[in-house]
Amino acid sequence: MNKNIGVYVCECGPNIPERIDVDKVVQEMSSMDEVKTVKKFNLMCSNDGKKFLKEEIEKQKLSHVVVAACSPKDHEKTFMSVCQESGLNPYLFQLVNIREQCAWMIPDKEEATSKAVKYIRAGIHRVLYHNPLKKKEIEINTDVLVIGGGLSGIEAALSLAGPKRKVHIIEKTDSLGGMAADLSQVLPHQGSKMDLIKKKVEQLESSEFVNINTFSQVKEVRGFLGNFEAVINTHSGNGGVEEKEIKIGAVIVATGFNLFDLKKNPIYGYGEADNVLNATEFEDMINSEKILLKSGKKPKSVALVHCAGRKEQGYCSKVCCLYNLKFAHYLRDHHPDIEVKELVIDWCLPHKQDQSYFEEAKDKGVDFIRMDELLKTKSTGDQIQIEFKTNDKSHSVSVDMAVVAPAMVPSEDTTKLADILNIPLDKSGFFKELHEMLDPVSTPMEGIYLTGCALGPKNIHESLTQSHATSGKIFSTLVPGRKIEPEVKVSEIKEDLCTGCQTCLSVCFYGAITTDSFKGVSVVNEAICRGCGNCVGSCPSGAIRSKHFTYPQLYQEVLDALR
Amino acid sequence: MEQQNVLVIGAGVAGMEASLILAEAGLNVHLVEKESLIGGQTIKFEEVYPNMECATCMIAPQQQDVLQNDRINVSLLSKVQSVEGSAGNFKVQVKKKARYVSLINCIGCGACYEPCPVSLGNAFEERMSQKKAIAVACPGALPNAPAIDPEACLRLNGKKKDCSACQEACGFDAIDFSQKDETVELNVGAIIVATGFDQFDVSTLPQYGYGKHPNVYTAMEFERLYAQNGPTEGELTLRQDKPIKSVGIIHCVGRKQEGYCSGVCCMYSMKFAYFIKDKVPDADIHEFHTDLCIPGKSHQKFYNELKDKGVHFCRFEDIKVSGQNGNLQVRSTNSDGKEKSTDTDMVILSPALTPPPDAEILAKSLGIPQDSTGFFSTQNQKLNPIDSEKEGIYVIGCAEGPKDISESVSQAEAAAGRVLSFLQ
Amino acid sequence: MEKKFKPNIVGFLCNWCSYAGADLAGSSKTQVDPSLSVIRVMCSSRVNSNLILSSLLWGADGVLVAGCHPGDCHYEQGNYYARRRFALLKKITKILNLEPDRIQLSWISASEGKRYAEIVNQFARDITKKGPNPLTRNSQT
Repeated sequence: MNKNIGVYVCECGPNIPERIDVDKVVQEMSSMDEVKTVKKFNLMCSNDGKKFLKEEIEKQKLSHVVVAACSPKDHEKTFMSVCQESGLNPYLFQLVNIREQCAWMIPDKEEATSKAVKYIRAGIHRVLYHNPLKKKEIEINTDVLVIGGGLSGIEAALSLAGPKRKVHIIEKTDSLGGMAADLSQVLPHQGSKMDLIKKKVEQLESSEFVNINTFSQVKEVRGFLGNFEAVINTHSGNGGVEEKEIKIGAVIVATGFNLFDLKKNPIYGYGEADNVLNATEFEDMINSEKILLKSGKKPKSVALVHCAGRKEQGYCSKVCCLYNLKFAHYLRDHHPDIEVKELVIDWCLPHKQDQSYFEEAKDKGVDFIRMDELLKTKSTGDQIQIEFKTNDKSHSVSVDMAVVAPAMVPSEDTTKLADILNIPLDKSGFFKELHEMLDPVSTPMEGIYLTGCALGPKNIHESLTQSHATSGKIFSTLVPGRKIEPEVKVSEIKEDLCTGCQTCLSVCFYGAITTDSFKGVSVVNEAICRGCGNCVGSCPSGAIRSKHFTYPQLYQEVLDALR
Repeated sequence: MEQQNVLVIGAGVAGMEASLILAEAGLNVHLVEKESLIGGQTIKFEEVYPNMECATCMIAPQQQDVLQNDRINVSLLSKVQSVEGSAGNFKVQVKKKARYVSLINCIGCGACYEPCPVSLGNAFEERMSQKKAIAVACPGALPNAPAIDPEACLRLNGKKKDCSACQEACGFDAIDFSQKDETVELNVGAIIVATGFDQFDVSTLPQYGYGKHPNVYTAMEFERLYAQNGPTEGELTLRQDKPIKSVGIIHCVGRKQEGYCSGVCCMYSMKFAYFIKDKVPDADIHEFHTDLCIPGKSHQKFYNELKDKGVHFCRFEDIKVSGQNGNLQVRSTNSDGKEKSTDTDMVILSPALTPPPDAEILAKSLGIPQDSTGFFSTQNQKLNPIDSEKEGIYVIGCAEGPKDISESVSQAEAAAGRVLSFLQ
Repeated sequence: MEKKFKPNIVGFLCNWCSYAGADLAGSSKTQVDPSLSVIRVMCSSRVNSNLILSSLLWGADGVLVAGCHPGDCHYEQGNYYARRRFALLKKITKILNLEPDRIQLSWISASEGKRYAEIVNQFARDITKKGPNPLTRNSQT
């Protein structure tokens, strides 16, 4: 290929000439062999500047372009699109930062000028090793697999299903609805009508775009965003297992939570003392409208004990304070003769409406008792005695019945499913989001999303919100009729150098590398690779090339740095 | 929906995320922001809990994406004036204030600041530093171009009509005094409200000594004091200069008055302890809290870590700050009525998050109600937590109520999901 | 003969944090020692011993690798890998009779323009004090 490099030095108005002798730079560059033309221009990023560059590329029939100007963060994209418009592959371009990292940080003009020369020379040598990279397009499937038929899964499925997008929902039990369906009532400002959940289930069941699989579990998931294949196992009534394979574009994990087993710690007295219940058992009592002791008598006093399992699990489950308040309200409203004592460590009421709910409970005469630490729960004859510590002093209360609020813990299949989907868990054993702050429903595996309590304890609203968030993500990445364009600057394996040691597989956070077991070499899935180059750094045989950041390209920069 | 356009009000972390998702799906987004820069409150933080990530590093790529996205039309210094119509076809009037600096011509070199004769308190820095009448809010602001404050600028406020110091210094013809405020009409199918939060005004509660004792800081002041790109470049230099040996951090300021727990203050207050331990390892740090509200799955670990580092935690029922000659005294009373006095050199107040002052006006223009707390209300009862009472208008982030970045981003993505689900 | 020694330092900066930090140093007009030449990589994990050792063997007086702070990596865990590889390389440099303190790994965030300048300036001072890379001392006249 004929090499005609065009080098353009942007003055950025007075910014660069103030600190760099631009004419000298132009002169130095002109003497380089591969350079066809060197010009300075007042402001390359202006419309005039872009027009100028376009004309230059076309007129001079340039094969490579180097622009020395500002940081690539500012205008790399600008000039790459000028190249594209002028018919030059945009990757045959190099932007050299002589403003931020040269003119603006080196006060001595002579020093700054020779630094600029060094940088531009490196840019010229580098660009000669550039390859005309091309965008690829991949066909996609827009259907979605939702794992878990609880409220989160239902909401995601309802949001996504439509004429152009089928949703498969799989649920391991016999029916949809999950934990939320068993609640006596949802919290007041979270919607008091349970039939809303029932309605959602009905809506889903009647949708022609939803395929519901109960008694089902995922056995295997392979592929990547837009092109997944999943194997589903369905247990039939006679003990047999039916296996089927489906093709989908994305997966939503909505597997919910379990409750902390109170028997794990004797201080809660659960299983030891009669009339110590966990929160679900008390929900059942509310549902049956009978608040009764084992003896069949009505209790005169009930203690609501917060934070069971918080210390053991190492986190606060966020929702327990509020549902304990719900119990307190229920008892005061329906059984005013029962005395209610609520034993609280910290009130965790982070929603704007929560505190007024607390104040109302206080007005209804609930006795709130602050404890720093629960010490013991034991049965003393007919009563239950709860011992606790506050301000370094021991206290105790005696009641007829104790309701203990257990922490929310990861559901039992979490580890297995993480393994199947190749996605990580966090330190608490829940699924780990890609970024706790900025990407709360994504995983390192693009196309696999998380929602609801599978991610950690949360209330119904937050779960619903996350389900809509996963649908937002899927709607915007898997658009019917569109193809996806993966990152161009990805890693590439040179098969003849690859020894098949699989080191790269273990360092890739995104699971973009697999082994071709027939050839015994690693293979990069360009649709998944994000181009960080970690695998290149890890490869002992130098078999991996990270496009646009290859060894020869970087070595040229090193050599010029040392010239 | 007749119009494939969406209006997003507020270019903080939630507004930006919603805009990016909608744009990626192929919709056109009008992103309206009242300030001269995008990024909202998050860019004021040096690091965010619980992983102590650099907020700038986290947000900057997102800001760049927003500014470079052809489908997102960003209007800065702009406010929504009125909204007519209904879901699928809203007509929105947006008032856009003149910046007096051309975003096309300006390259952000900053040559215009120096010659400007007017200095004023920089609101972005909680007025802890001065800026010129033409300035960017902070180094690294995006878009990287200043704006002229028309009330401070001598030429624009009429005090010195021939001043053209900045214009003369500008080598790019970027300063344009002829720019006028303008009103733009937009046609959109849906509206996403992401107008964020304000802080409870701590000076209304004299018992905390704010304003009286110089070394009593608000949380936001402390965020900027600690920030590398802030007024002291990250040095913990006190207003009344003295070495920091002991610090009191007081939680729940304004909780009682506002009637709700803001959910984020416990964590960021603990983040402050982390910051101070980092810069002044020997400092005694006292966290004065009521309820520790730390509901994230990784948050309690953060708390345990701080306890291990020797941060003192003290639960109070009542608290008061007094002082003399720069020495501050925090007197806290516990649930048994026992009083304790702690000497400190610095006090940081963690105030409640409140609705922004213009929430009421916006609520009226949009025709959506506020709840008793002043935040916008949503259809919580119907299990539609981000849908406002009006179809086609969604409320996300702290506009809906206090919450952390993670929840705000979830809601932003959810709002995009709602809009896109509606369109399919 | 003793002309004032000005070192040649190669700096590999990750695109997301450290390179942005360097940009911020510039746009805040902070003075930074010109002996360091910046090479942009997407992630500090891309920088392995090949790049660092080649730089030293070709005459670099010092090599600085800078990435996002632990926990801040744009690619989640890249900087942890960089750290491990770096620790290993430090050990190897001794075996190769190279001076381990000619290579440095630092964490610089996008908001730490000032810190970038401080780190580069300090590293440049340290290397200046050490004098030229012994591998090239004799070959250069």
